[in-house]
Amino acid sequence: MKSEKKDNKKPGISVRLRVLLVIVAAITLEATSIIQFVYAQREIKQEASLRAKSELKSAENKIMDVVDQAEAAVRNSIWIAEWCLEYPDSLIRIPQLVVGKNPAVVGSTIALVPGYSEKFPLYSPYATRDLETGEIKILSLATEEYDYPTMEWFTKPIELNDSYWSEPYFDENGGDILMTTFSMPVKDKNGTIAAILTADISLDWLTELIGEIKVYPNAFNMVISRSGQIMVCPVETLVMQTTVDQFALASEDYEALDRVNHAMLSGQSGEMPVRYQGQANHVYFSPVERTGWSLSIVLPEKELYSGVRRIGMIVKLLQLLGLAMLIVILRVATKNQAKYHRLNEQKERMENELHIAREIQMAMIPKTFPPFPERKDLDLAAAIIPAKEVGGDLYDFFIRDEKLFFCIGDVSGKGIPASLVMAVTRSLFRAMSAHEDSPAKIIASMNNSVSETNESNMFVTFFCGVLDLNAGRLRYCNAGHNPPMILTDAIRMLPVEPNLPLGILSGMDFIEQETPFLYDDALFLYTDGLSEAENATQEQFGEARIEQTLHGRKRSQDHLENIKQQVSLFVGDAPQSDDLTMLFIHYLGHANKKSHHLTLHNSIEQITLLPDFVDAVAEEAQLDHEAIFNLNLALEEAVTNVIMYAYPEGTDNVMDIDARVDGKRVSFVITDSGKPFDPTAKEAVDINAEMGERPIGGLGIHLVRTIMDTVNYERKEEKNILTITKNY
Amino acid sequence: MEVNISRENNTITVCFSGRLDTPAAQEITPQMNALAEEAFNTIILDCSEMSYISSSGLRIFLTIRKSAADKGAKVIVRGICDDIRSVFMMTGFLNLFEIQ
Repeated sequence: MKSEKKDNKKPGISVRLRVLLVIVAAITLEATSIIQFVYAQREIKQEASLRAKSELKSAENKIMDVVDQAEAAVRNSIWIAEWCLEYPDSLIRIPQLVVGKNPAVVGSTIALVPGYSEKFPLYSPYATRDLETGEIKILSLATEEYDYPTMEWFTKPIELNDSYWSEPYFDENGGDILMTTFSMPVKDKNGTIAAILTADISLDWLTELIGEIKVYPNAFNMVISRSGQIMVCPVETLVMQTTVDQFALASEDYEALDRVNHAMLSGQSGEMPVRYQGQANHVYFSPVERTGWSLSIVLPEKELYSGVRRIGMIVKLLQLLGLAMLIVILRVATKNQAKYHRLNEQKERMENELHIAREIQMAMIPKTFPPFPERKDLDLAAAIIPAKEVGGDLYDFFIRDEKLFFCIGDVSGKGIPASLVMAVTRSLFRAMSAHEDSPAKIIASMNNSVSETNESNMFVTFFCGVLDLNAGRLRYCNAGHNPPMILTDAIRMLPVEPNLPLGILSGMDFIEQETPFLYDDALFLYTDGLSEAENATQEQFGEARIEQTLHGRKRSQDHLENIKQQVSLFVGDAPQSDDLTMLFIHYLGHANKKSHHLTLHNSIEQITLLPDFVDAVAEEAQLDHEAIFNLNLALEEAVTNVIMYAYPEGTDNVMDIDARVDGKRVSFVITDSGKPFDPTAKEAVDINAEMGERPIGGLGIHLVRTIMDTVNYERKEEKNILTITKNY
Repeated sequence: MEVNISRENNTITVCFSGRLDTPAAQEITPQMNALAEEAFNTIILDCSEMSYISSSGLRIFLTIRKSAADKGAKVIVRGICDDIRSVFMMTGFLNLFEIQ
C-alpha cells in the first residue's frame, strides 16, 4: 500500500512541475517576442522614415530640377526683355526665345503692364510648343475672354515685386495638361515694373515622378499646392478638384487631417501619425521650395508592419509548436524518470532487503567469542569476512549433550540465490542436528531437503563435525568441502571421503569418518575464500601458506587474527572476490590426564625400565595384555635403536621418552641429542625371504612399523624426535 | 632370563624362561653362539617359560637356525605363547621354524 501511494504521488509532483515549466517557458518566449516586436517596429519605423525622407528629398530634387530650368529660362531672358522694352515690337521674340531654348518650358509670354506702352496698351504674345509637331506657335493672350491683367501669374509678381510660382491649373488652351507658371517682373531703367515674363511648365511628369516613389506597395504619395490644392493623388477625381482642407472637412477624421494639413501648408517637413477611416497611417511630408508645394508619403501602418507581423505570426506558431514539443518531451521524460525511479527504488529495496536478510543470517550464526566462556575444555573462534557482493558462506556451532556440533559451508555462486540457499542450509543444519548425532546422517537429511527444493541447481560444499567433548572423539562427514587442517603433533589435512556436495542428488549416502581428537588437538576449517584469496598477480594464498600460519600454539582467536593479517598482507590492494570464512576449534578436554615421562641413559640395561613405564601408560589407556606386549616390544625396539646408534659407545647420554594417551590413542615421543639418525629410512625387511637370504638385523624397526599405526621421525633443534602412535 | 641346556643323543634342548629382551639377549649371546657351533642333529628351543621376546632374541633364534641349516640339522621351537606367536608372525619366523 505504501509503495502504491508513493508511486501515485510522484507523477503528481512532476505534473505540477511540468505545468510550471511550460508556463515559464511560454512567458519567456512571449516576453522575448514582444520585446523583439517592439524593437523591430521601432527599427522598421525608423527605416521607413529614413526611406520616406530620402524618397521625398529625391523627388524634391527632381522637381527642383524642372523648376530651376523654368526659372533659369525666365531669368536668363530677363535682361533681353528689359532691353526690348525700348523697342516694344521686338518683345514678341522673347517668349519664342524662352520656349525655343528650353525644352522643359511648354509656353511663355511677356505681358506688358496695361498702360505701360502707349503703342500696346494690352500686350501679351504667347509662345507655345505644339506637342505633336514641336513647332512654336505665337498666340496673343491680350483677348477680352482671357483678360490677362486679372490672372494670378500676372498680378502676384507685381504685388510681390518678385518672382512667383502660380498655383497649378489646367491649361485651357492646350487640353488637359496640368500646368504651372513661373512669372517674373521685367523692370525698366527706372525700376518700374513694365512687364511680366513667364514660363509654363507641364506638370504631367509630376504625377509620373511622384508615382514612381513606392516606399511600400500600398503607400501612396501626394503633392499639394500652396493653397492646399491636391495636385497629385491616387484618387484622380480629387486632383485639381478639391483642397486638402475641403477633404478634411468632409472627413470624420477632421482633426487628425487638419493637423497634418496645417503642418504641410505651413511649409514644414516631418512626419505625423494620422488615423483615417480606422486605419493608422504615417504621413511623411516635405515642402518643395519656391513653389510652395508640399510633398507627402502616406504609409498605412498595417502595411508598414505587415512583414514584422507576419514574422511575428510565424514566431508565435513556432513558439506554440515548441511549447507543445516541450510538453510532450517533459511528459515522456517524467514518465521515463518515474519508471527509472521506480526501477531504481525496487533495486535499492531489493539490495536493502538482501542486506537485511544477510544481517539476519549473520545474527543467527554465533558471533560472540569466546562462545562458551564457562567451558575450559574448548577454545573456539570463527570469522566471516564478507565480500562486497553478498555471498553464501556459513558456519555454525552449538553444544548439545556434551557434544560440539559444528559446520562450515560454501554455497556455489554469489548474490541473492546463494544468500538464500545459505540461510536455508543453516536452518537445515540446526533442524537436522537437533536430534541426530551422526554427521553423515545430518548431512544426508540436509542433502535430501536441499536437493528436493533446489530449482536453481545450486550446491553447497559442507563439512559437518560432531566432537564428543568427554571422549575426545571427532566424527565428521565432508560433503565436497575443502578438507580442514588438523593440528595434532603435526599439522596435516584431515583425511576426508570424497562425498558429493549438498543439493546435487537426493537420497545419497554420505560416508562418515572418525578420528581421536585429544587434548590440545585443534581443527581449522575454512572456505575457499581463504585458500583462493588472490593477490594482484593472481597468485593464490594456497594451503601451504595456511599451514605455515597455523604453526605454534595460540588461542583460537589469535590464530584467526594472525591468518587475517597474513591474508591481507598477501592480498594487498586486490579486491576480495569471495567470502572468507574460518572456524578454529581447539580441544582442551581431559584436563586431569596424567603425563608419562621417562629419562633413559644410553645403556642397554635401561631397557628393563620400559615394562613398568608401558604398564603405567597402558593402565591409563585401559589396554589388554596383548596390546601391552606389543607396545612394550615396539618401544623397546625404538629405544634400542637410539641406544645402539645415536651416541658413541662408552659415552653417557640421555634420552627422553614422553608418552601420551589421548582417549584410545597412545603415542610415544623419543627425543635424543645424538647424531642425526632416521630409523624410518632403513630399508624394510623382507619377511618372506628364504632362510639363506634373511639378514640378521633390521627386524627391530620392522616390528615398530608393524605394531604402531604411525612412525614419524623429525630432526629438530639438534634433536632426533621419533613419534610412534597406536590407535585402539 | 634363565637358560637351561640339556643334551641327549645328538639332540640339544634349550629352555628359556622369563623375558628375552635386549639386555637378556646380549647376556646369553656368547653362550648361544657357542651352542650353535656344537654338533647336533636336532635342537629344540623350548619357549614354554618365555614370556617376551624382542628382535635381539629373534636374532639369536635366527643365528641358531642358520647354523643348523648349514649342518643339515633341525630346529624345533616348542611351546610359544600367543604373544610370541604373533611376533613370529609379524617377522615371518613362523615359516622359518618348525613350531611344536
